Parts: sequence; structure tokens; C-alpha cells
Amino acid sequence: MDSSAIIAIAAALAIAVSTIGPSMAQGKTAAAAMESIARQPEAANNIRSTLIIALALIEALTIYGLLIAFMLISRI
Amino acid sequence: MGEGSKVLFKLFGILDVTPEVVTSWIIMALIILVSFIGTRRLKDTPGFWQNILEVALLKLESFFGDTLGIKSKRMKMCFPFLATMFIFIIVSNYTGLLPGAGELSWLGAPTSSLSVTAGLGVLTFCALHYFGFRTHGKGYLKHFIRPVFFMLPFLIIDEVVRPVSLALRLYGNVFGEETVTEQLYAIIPIGAPIIMMVLSLLFCALQAIVFTMLASIYIYEATEEIE
Repeated sequence: MDSSAIIAIAAALAIAVSTIGPSMAQGKTAAAAMESIARQPEAANNIRSTLIIALALIEALTIYGLLIAFMLISRI
Repeated sequence: MGEGSKVLFKLFGILDVTPEVVTSWIIMALIILVSFIGTRRLKDTPGFWQNILEVALLKLESFFGDTLGIKSKRMKMCFPFLATMFIFIIVSNYTGLLPGAGELSWLGAPTSSLSVTAGLGVLTFCALHYFGFRTHGKGYLKHFIRPVFFMLPFLIIDEVVRPVSLALRLYGNVFGEETVTEQLYAIIPIGAPIIMMVLSLLFCALQAIVFTMLASIYIYEATEEIE
């Protein structure tokens, strides 16, 4: 296997593995938010804005993986 | 790291001017022009531009007021900085969606370059400690050895990581989203990029909100009362 093939696999792994954790975390966050909206519909607006910010923060972790993948691809 | 930015021309023979710099100049000129038109003749019954600016500023004030405490001294001190940051970031994120961005050599979202977002991160870092020192004076340094002395290295790491994570988050989101749009364009030129661009409309605003929200939380921590 030459080095460009290894880099390609590394790039694929970087984005694929870094998606696993945040996707589970986002699922948990969204589930908890929906549960609390169902329990207390009058607080829906507050919960929604906090939810979106939390999701964006979790999303950043995946984005780091994506960045590494792009950096690796540019080296092929 | 994404630094494919080419030098357009040289200023005074030494300074390299890249497309990001030119676009930032255009954005600054635009923001200054709109503010100038809006505040030229202030009236009790606002005209079109004054009305828009007032609504926008009131929204921003209530948004930052949630974290910093509306009508507090801290708010009066930090609001101009945070609001400027927000307006600049949101306008530069949306620049990437303009027709011709990326095609014309001098137009492109400034925030899709790591240099610009790193600059914004460092600026936030400096402002944060400036506000901290202004509120507490020399006592601000005690903030680094609380609750116990050996926390010092960890707290310093925490402070240094903040601008880095702010910069990387903003850069990664805007750059990643532009690259995905580009890849979609390469696969199906007609129609497919629109899906990602509609999502971009949401993400661009969201990233500006997250950046300034985190900055305001950091400022709140730096300026809160020490008992």
C-alpha cells in the first residue's frame, strides 16, 4: 500500500470515527429536550434556544474531525 | 490549513493583500455606511434605516442581557464589543452565499480562512482579560489561583484553549460547509447545491450566535464579583 492510499483511509476514518460520539450525544440532547418540552410546553421557547446552542457546541467536535480529514486529503 | 489564499496585490510594497482582506474591507465599508445612513438624522419617529437598526440593536441587547444581566455595569462595558463582533461575523458568514463568491477572485467569506477567525479569537481573548482587569484591577490575577494555588497551570491552559477553540469552531463550520457545497456542485451542478445553501442560511447565523454567546459567557466569568 503506498502512502496516498493510507492517507485516504486515514481521512475516511477521521471523519467517520469523529461522527460516532457527537451523534450519540446529539441524540441524547434532543431526546431530553423533547421530553422536557412535552412535560412543560410553556417553557418550549427557552428550551429550544438552549438546545440549538448545545447542539452547535457538540457539532464542533465533528467539525474538528472534518477539518483533519480535509487536511489529510490535501496531502494526497 | 486551507491557506490557499493567493496574494492579490501588495500594499506599500510589503503587505500582502489577500481576498479575505479585500472582502473584510468591503464588509466594513458596508456596515459603516448603513450605520451612517441610519443615524444621520435621529428622530423620535424613526425612518426606515433607523427603525431597522433600532430593532436589531434591541434584539442584540436582550440576547446578551440574558447572560450578562441587562442594565448592569458589565453590560454597558461589553455590549459594544460583543455586538460589533456579532454583526461582523454574521455579515461575513453570509458573504459566502452571495452569487459570485469564490468565482470572483476578490470575493469570499472572510471567516472561511483560519487567519481571520484566529484573529477574532485572539481579539476576544485580549478583550476578555482587559474587561477582567478593568473590573477588578490587580485583584483579577487572584482569579487564577482560586480555589487553590496548584490550579494555576490548569486555569492557564483553560484560558489559552478558549481562543483556539473559538477560532477552530468558526473556521471549521464555515469552511466545511463551503467545501460540502462545492463538492455537491461538482457532482450535480444544477439543484443539489441549493439544499446545502439553505442549510447554510441557518448555520451562518447559528455560528455567529454561538461565537458571541461563548464570548459573553467568558466575559461574565471574568467580570463576576469575587467574594
